[in-house]
Formats: sequence, structure tokens, C-alpha cells
Amino acid sequence: MRKNTLVKLLILAVCTCVAILLSLFYGGSECIGNGSEASAYILYEIRLPKTLTAIVAGSALALAGLVLQTIFRNPLAGPYVLGISSGASVMVALALLAGTGLSFFAGRAFIVVAAVSGSLIVTALILAISRKVSNNVILLLIGLMIAQICGAVELALEYFADPGRLKTFVLWGMGSLSSTNNADLFVFVPVVVLSAAALLFYIKPLNAMLLGEDYARSAGIHYSSSRFGLILFSSLITGVTTAFCGPLAFIGTAVPILSRLIFKTSRQQVHVLGCMLIGSTLLLFADFASHSMIKNMVLPVNMITTLIGAPIVIYLMFKNKYW
Amino acid sequence: MEHGIKIINAQLGYGSQHDPVVVLNGLYINIRPGQLTAIAGMNGTGKSTLLKSIAGLLPPLSGELYVNGIPVSDTKKRELAKEVAVVLTDKIGGFNLTCFDAVAAGQMPYTNAFHQIKEENLKIINEAIATCKLETHRHKALHELSDGLFQKTMIARALAQQTPLMLLDEPTAFLDYASRHELFILLKNLAEQQNKCILVSTHDLDLVLKYCDTIVVVHNGQAEFLQTDEALKNDAFRAIGGKHL
Repeated sequence: MRKNTLVKLLILAVCTCVAILLSLFYGGSECIGNGSEASAYILYEIRLPKTLTAIVAGSALALAGLVLQTIFRNPLAGPYVLGISSGASVMVALALLAGTGLSFFAGRAFIVVAAVSGSLIVTALILAISRKVSNNVILLLIGLMIAQICGAVELALEYFADPGRLKTFVLWGMGSLSSTNNADLFVFVPVVVLSAAALLFYIKPLNAMLLGEDYARSAGIHYSSSRFGLILFSSLITGVTTAFCGPLAFIGTAVPILSRLIFKTSRQQVHVLGCMLIGSTLLLFADFASHSMIKNMVLPVNMITTLIGAPIVIYLMFKNKYW
Repeated sequence: MEHGIKIINAQLGYGSQHDPVVVLNGLYINIRPGQLTAIAGMNGTGKSTLLKSIAGLLPPLSGELYVNGIPVSDTKKRELAKEVAVVLTDKIGGFNLTCFDAVAAGQMPYTNAFHQIKEENLKIINEAIATCKLETHRHKALHELSDGLFQKTMIARALAQQTPLMLLDEPTAFLDYASRHELFILLKNLAEQQNKCILVSTHDLDLVLKYCDTIVVVHNGQAEFLQTDEALKNDAFRAIGGKHL
């Protein structure tokens, strides 16, 4: 790895540490650090799970985005743009809002299973369509349309749902890092960490995929099986993250673009590290902002990530650079 | 082991097994190493299908294809990648890909799981860059290169793959007149000096006559194998435009 890249990674790691400290010790309650029982409770039961959630969710979505952008060779791809998050959402909506028969199962585990299956269904659909449609722009538009259809189904479910459940679902949909407890993290963290570790086996195919399918195959890469593994990876971590934090917008699309702008390299191993650091830092800051922008009020984190992410994407589209 | 390309009674095309689209039929071709061979034919007659089939990117509908004596269909991808390199018509770029990155990708069959470029890989990459005279452009982004330099980069990538066979799909399209000649001279030198078997599809029949040793004329679903000096008298070659030369 070049010295330049190492320095940038180090600076990003420092930023992540600052964001972690901010998330742990500032915002909301002032009693942190005075040694009281309340202070310890807030730190270990509320702040620590929230901080860990932000790190894991930010890394997961950024990695999913990186993988999808590389497979589709399109910088605008991402779990949110391709409708994968929406697929997870609509299944969670079914789990949370549909009739009493399902509500019996509507525990956390069921939401996780629903979200993962939703994201897998949409990804499988996109993958099937991508075999017929070679134009990536059309594919992205189809992804957007799938997201719209999922949105419409969600609306219908919301319309007929009872108010109590509706509130739970709407709050989930706004995106939150605070709803995970320590028990949830025992599922969330290992799934994402193991998936990210599995990604290491795909570094070479990812590098080859930047040249397109035919060149990758002619370089000796098992293209179809690699693509299948990578798509499975990105739907799994998107589904799990969406289950625990709601459909978080734009992290998946904006972070890989930022990583390419910062590191100015095509080497995917650098971007895997870069995306994890930028993704977690960005989400930690977004969460911090959502807690501290208005006193005594927590804004939806999705609002903040969209406010950060969307202008980045628009700016880059206008700049029309080849990121 | 028999070197070069050997095709025995092949039917080439695409589509599913139940609904195949046959593009070329009854193909017998035998190309020796050290030769620059052109694939000439009109648009949509199967030049790319032929190249992709030899490269193992498109399975043959029937028949046998061998590169350097090994069967294309039954060989592991990584092993095949050490025998055949391709230069396709796909325009690639973006994602911070530089000229060097593209050439370095040629070494993929030889690098570790992280595609780590070691000393021995770098030596071969640098040689390929030098052969194609790309030293001053090595750190430029792919999308910043002119069409001519881009084609040279992709040829350097194929060279870095260190294969005895090189297949190129219309590398002279979009190039200016001088660059077309330079490209053919480069390919001719590579075939002669490095004893490579180079197959290039093109519409530039004048360049084919000037630089190539043999020609595969693709016409009416058939492919005819000719020596360059007998081309002008050949009906198929005349039919695809040779009569205007």
C-alpha cells in the first residue's frame, strides 16, 4: 500500500475515533462522566450500543454500496437506489403492519428475517433483469421503479394498519440507531463482521469487475459465481442493517463515491477499508447532528443522511467526473 | 503439443441450448503461431462471435476448439487465461482506473488473491507498457486517453497477460489513418518477434493485405482460411469488399 494511502487511512481513522468519542460522551444528557449510576447506565446501555450500531451500520451500507457500484460499474448504484432497502422495508411493513396472524411473530428476529428476505427478493429480481438488460442506466431506472412499487405497497399497508402499529413502523422507517440494544448487537455485529471478512475473498474479482464482465472472465475470474456471492453479501448486510436501523438513505451511494474521491485509486482493497471508516464516521456524525441540532429533540437520522448524501450525489453528477 | 489455434467442425453462435442462434457453421481453422491473421467480414457476420468463442467467452454450439493444444471448453478459466488474451470493443474507464491499472490487470492470472503487484509482476507490466510506448501516459486516467492510446493500453494489458495467443476485436475502429498503420505494425512485430499467434478482426482490408500473413474471411455463415497473397482472387474476399481494392 502506498504511503499516501496509509496517511489518508490514518487521518480517517482519527476522524472515526473523534466521532466515536463525540457519540459516547456528548449530546443529550450532561451527566456522563460524573461517576454516578445513571451515568454508567447511559454510557453502557444507551450510548455504547448506539455507537456500535452506527459503526457497524455505516460500514455495512458503505460496503454494500461499494460492491454494487463495482458490479454494475455505475457510481450511482447502491442498496437504497437499487430498491434493495425498499425491498427490506416492504417486508418489514408486512411483518409489522399486516393482520393479527402475523403480529404474533413480529419480534425482532422476525423483522430481521423479513428484511433480509425482502432485500434478497429485490436483488434476485434486479439480477434476473440484468441478464436481459445490459444497459446499466436502464437497470438503475428499473431499480428506482421497484423502489417506487415497494413504496406504494408500503403506503397501502400503512393506510389499512391500526394506529399503534403504524407509529412503530413510521418511526422505524425514519431510520434510527438508538433502537438496538446489547442483545441485538450480538446478532448484528457478527453478521456484518463475518460478511465483511468474507468480502476479502472477493477482492480480486472486485478489481477485475471494474474492467467489465468479458475482461474479468478473460483474466481467469469466475465471474458468475463471484457476482452471485457478492450480490448475496450486499443483500444480506443491507437486509440486516435495515432490520435494525430502518432504511438508511444515501450512505450506501455517497460513501463509495467519497472514498474514490479521497483515495484516487481503483484498488478495491483500499476502498473496503476507506468505505468502512468513512461510512461509520459519517453515520456517527449524522447521529450526533440528529441529537444536537435542536435541544431536547432527536431528529430522524434519515433526514440528516439525506441532507448530506443527496447534495454530494447532485454535485458529483454536475461535475460529471469519472469517479 | 500443437501450438496455435485449431477449430474442428465447429458450429458457433449464442442463445440457449433449446433456442440456439447459429452464426457460423462447419468451421475448420488451423492457425500457426508467429503469424498475424485477420478476420475480415461484413458487419454482423460473426467476427466477434468467432473471437469470443476462441477466447472461451462464448461456448461453441458444437465442435471442438483448441488453443495451444488444450480444449477451450474443458479448461479451467485461470489456465485458459494464461493461453489467450483478448482486446475487446468495450470502452472501459472511470472508477479511478489508470493506464497502469488496466495493464496491471493483465497480470491477474499470476497475482495472489488480493491482486498484489510484486516485483516480478511489475517488471512484466513495465515491459508491456514500454513495448506499446505508453511510459508517459502510465498514470493518466483511462477516460483521458485518446482512442489510439486507449487501444494501445488494452494491447499492453493483453501483452502483460503473457499469453501465446492474442485476439483483438476491431482494434482499429475509431482510429486515425496513421494510428491504424502503427497499430498493425505493432501487432506484426509482436507476432514475429515474440512468436505469438495474433488474430485481429478488422474492416481495413488494405491494411490486412499489407500486414497480415493469413486471413479468415467470414461470409454467409461460413469461414474461409486464406493466405494473404491469394486473397484478391478469392470470391468470398472480393464479396466482402476486396473487389474495390
